Amino acid sequence: MFRLNPQTLKKLRRFRQIKRGYYSFLALAGLLVLLGLGELLINSRALLVKYDGQLYFPTYTAFHPGTDFGLDYAYETNYRELQRQFEAEGGDNWVLMPLVPYNPYENHAPGGIFTPLPPSADTQHYLGTDTTSRDILARLFYGTRIALLFAMAFTACVYLVGISIGCAMGYFGGVFDLVFQRVIEIWSNIPFLYMVIIVFSVIPSSVSLASRIGILLIVMVLFSWTGMTYYMRTETYKEKSRDYTAAARIIGASNTRIIFRHILPNVLSTLVTFMPFTIVSAISAITALDFLGFGLPPPTSSLGELLKQGTANLRTAPWIVISAFSTLVALLTLVTFIGEAVRESFDPKTFSIYQ
Amino acid sequence: MQISVYRLVTGALLALLLAACGDANEQAASQAAEPQRDNTREVADYYAANPEFFGFRTPADLPAGLVWENGDHLPEIGSPQATKGGTLYGRLQDFPRTLRTIGPDSNGSFRALLLDDVGMTLAKVHPENLELYPGLAEAWSVDWENKTVYIKLDRNATYSDGVPITADDYLFMFWFYRSAYVNAPWYNNFYGSQYTNITRYDDHLISISMPEAKPDMPNRALQIQPIPRHFYREVGDDFTERYQWKFAPTPGAYIVREEDIRKGRSIALTRLDNWWAKDKKFYRYRFNPDRIQLNVIRDTPKVFEAFKRGDIDQFSLDLAEYWYQKLPDDDPDVQAGYIKKAVFFNERPRPPLGLWINTSQPLLDNRDVRLGIAYATNWELVIERFFRGDSSRLNTGNDGFGEFSHPTLKAREFDIEQAQKYFAAAGFKQRGPDGILVNDAGQRLAFTLSCGWESLKDVLTILKQEAAKAGLDFRIEMLDGTASWKKVQEKKHDIAFSGFGRFLEMYPRYWEHYHSDNAYDDAFLPDGSTNPERKLKTQTNNLEAFAVYEMDQLIDRYRASEDREEMIEVSHRMLELHHDYASFVPGYYQGFFRLGYWRWVRYPEGFSYKYSDGPNELHVLWIDTAAKEETLAARKAGIGFEPSITVYDQWAE
Repeated sequence: MFRLNPQTLKKLRRFRQIKRGYYSFLALAGLLVLLGLGELLINSRALLVKYDGQLYFPTYTAFHPGTDFGLDYAYETNYRELQRQFEAEGGDNWVLMPLVPYNPYENHAPGGIFTPLPPSADTQHYLGTDTTSRDILARLFYGTRIALLFAMAFTACVYLVGISIGCAMGYFGGVFDLVFQRVIEIWSNIPFLYMVIIVFSVIPSSVSLASRIGILLIVMVLFSWTGMTYYMRTETYKEKSRDYTAAARIIGASNTRIIFRHILPNVLSTLVTFMPFTIVSAISAITALDFLGFGLPPPTSSLGELLKQGTANLRTAPWIVISAFSTLVALLTLVTFIGEAVRESFDPKTFSIYQ
Repeated sequence: MQISVYRLVTGALLALLLAACGDANEQAASQAAEPQRDNTREVADYYAANPEFFGFRTPADLPAGLVWENGDHLPEIGSPQATKGGTLYGRLQDFPRTLRTIGPDSNGSFRALLLDDVGMTLAKVHPENLELYPGLAEAWSVDWENKTVYIKLDRNATYSDGVPITADDYLFMFWFYRSAYVNAPWYNNFYGSQYTNITRYDDHLISISMPEAKPDMPNRALQIQPIPRHFYREVGDDFTERYQWKFAPTPGAYIVREEDIRKGRSIALTRLDNWWAKDKKFYRYRFNPDRIQLNVIRDTPKVFEAFKRGDIDQFSLDLAEYWYQKLPDDDPDVQAGYIKKAVFFNERPRPPLGLWINTSQPLLDNRDVRLGIAYATNWELVIERFFRGDSSRLNTGNDGFGEFSHPTLKAREFDIEQAQKYFAAAGFKQRGPDGILVNDAGQRLAFTLSCGWESLKDVLTILKQEAAKAGLDFRIEMLDGTASWKKVQEKKHDIAFSGFGRFLEMYPRYWEHYHSDNAYDDAFLPDGSTNPERKLKTQTNNLEAFAVYEMDQLIDRYRASEDREEMIEVSHRMLELHHDYASFVPGYYQGFFRLGYWRWVRYPEGFSYKYSDGPNELHVLWIDTAAKEETLAARKAGIGFEPSITVYDQWAE
């Protein structure tokens, strides 16, 4: 069974006491759950359709052509129209739509022209529409989801690579350390943005969206792991010379065991304090790339693309930039608050004050 | 072990250091004075080696009975009210990469201000009726039988540095454009194949001959600009670098002074006060501002802000978004009359904007698939909803050429039923879980749609949404302009949303887009059947890899024909063939250009002209300096003028 040691429990208690960070954490966790259930909240597919006595749950299934519901077309059913039609017919058939009945890709122009529309509850575009009449809330929501997932995956990968190499450098030292230090010095001087641009210009577009995100992730990780190694290296050096490490070695513990069972838990506080800031930088990086047009291919929804549209339409459609900017600020603030709280609660100084 | 690692690292560091030094050395060398060169001898030898092309005769050899014409009956261009003076402020999206007008990187938008719009040719095409009016020529005489045009040069014509322009500069032009030094294959080919002879009779009399007496032969002979021999004396292997930032003496009205070149920031053109043509009939009311100041502003939204502040004088409102939303008719500056809005309709060859389908790609070589794509592309929606009905549907790849364009052919309209029918014929009958059609092998009906215009990204997302209804998936690929061009030139695209600039010509060109010579090496066997071993040819404008034997025959006939009626008939037949082949989905065109301009920018009454391409092409505008002061003062004081929103639709189709 997985049991936390008293030290960690103490730190977690301390974290809960820092209200700002704790509530930020709850808010972010809540947001993640919401994002996970996104398709049930913001979607052009209905939650539930009752047609001819049968129930349909189109959200997560394969698409239903219009012909499934007695319409005369073979493409994806327009559930909003279907709902209106059923209501007009007044029979037993009904449609239950999500809160926001739009997906992030469809050009829904209530005015007949593709143009940004201000927020309106009547049309259920709660944050308005963008330049080609797509729902901003939907784009924001799914854009945030991609950014957050990306940031978490990014952090995990960077930590994995950074910790392994950093620990090894600190623990083994000598030539290994020396060579890797030089490699890192050279590697970290390669301009990351140019590399992303170059790599993305050679990827054929037939590569699916998921693989493209994967490649972007790999490229970003390739050029971001170096920062982590320095902290890990110094920490490991420090811990390596402690008595408990020497004791473990005398007992006959293997290198792997010493690194993972003894040293790693003791440098955890350094790792944890950096984590939120890595997430912040990942979100900023992917947003910046999209803003510059080198990120995910259109029409994928993204915060950067919305920001770009917003700045281009500052006078005529301020709601675009307001939504995108507020979301980004809120997201980054939450993560930063959590980061501060984590750092404070994991700070050993709090517990070792000599009176 | 340890030592070897040290060595490795030291070695690598040394190598890096050396590489850095090498760069520095090279830079120092290039800054040193360029070696002197003189190609006079080489040019003379070239003339002597090609006696059939370069003729030297005397005026006595001129055939008798030549009838001279000089376009004097044509109306003047510009307005007598125009005044000289003031500065026209504009913007550049990118700083020009060179001041050369030929060779690598020279084909940018700035070239129009060095050559196309400002330079002078022997004669130019009148924007109201397509007839020729004189430029550097005083008069000309067309001998259809001998496929030759005789030209009397204007004796007063000089370059901007005061050197007179003589017959020798025209002979030199042919050497220049045909030489390998200039790094310009198109020029090498065009000037090497489209002309057969130039003869010098005396300093101010020449004749030019062509291989065929095409209906527009005089245009081809007279739309050439001389090359200043004295300036290009040093042309050699290092032409590209040597002339990179040198402004060539021009017969035109504007020059670029060295002190006005601020690389990466701005560039300015200055009017020549004593320009040789300043009192000539067709030029006296044109080229009015003393200075044209162009600053680099990359982003269009920023350009618009600069325009609204009055930092630049005009702004193109071609995009519906700007005309209706960002500068609407009720904008305070428009209502106060500070900024005027105008729509100018025109009639000219329309750029073939649409989807170029690469028929050498798998699946796209199937005509049913291509037909399906044509029916699954909803241009009507884009035109109606995104362009707000301002644009019109293009019907073929060569619209706007008058009689040469097809009178009845219509582009296929969006039709899901038809699209599905053709896709089914190609084996795509079932819809996958995401609604996209799949065939029996499980292959999805998905193609990459590449595009190099960031500003038209929205158009593609709309097309993608609509195509999905017919079960077709467009994977949108936005590239930057250069990358996109490279991709289509290497024929690596599936479908490209692209277009080509169209010159004001009498009849369309077919060879470059539709001849199999530009699609494959040895596309057909002698009997007309497809060569199984043919190889795709890259770096040509045949973006559809269009290779149809019948088309080749027609193109050859069209190119050889000297009979206008026959050419028209063949042109129609070729357009039908192209339509049937369905490798091009015609998009849209704008039959006008729209402009927002500050009150002090003045255009002639009734501007624009029938065949005009844009507001600045003919340089007929002038800056009313008094009005500028008045407007700025009035704006400060909050006094308004009469608003002016005008539609000049005399040339609307």
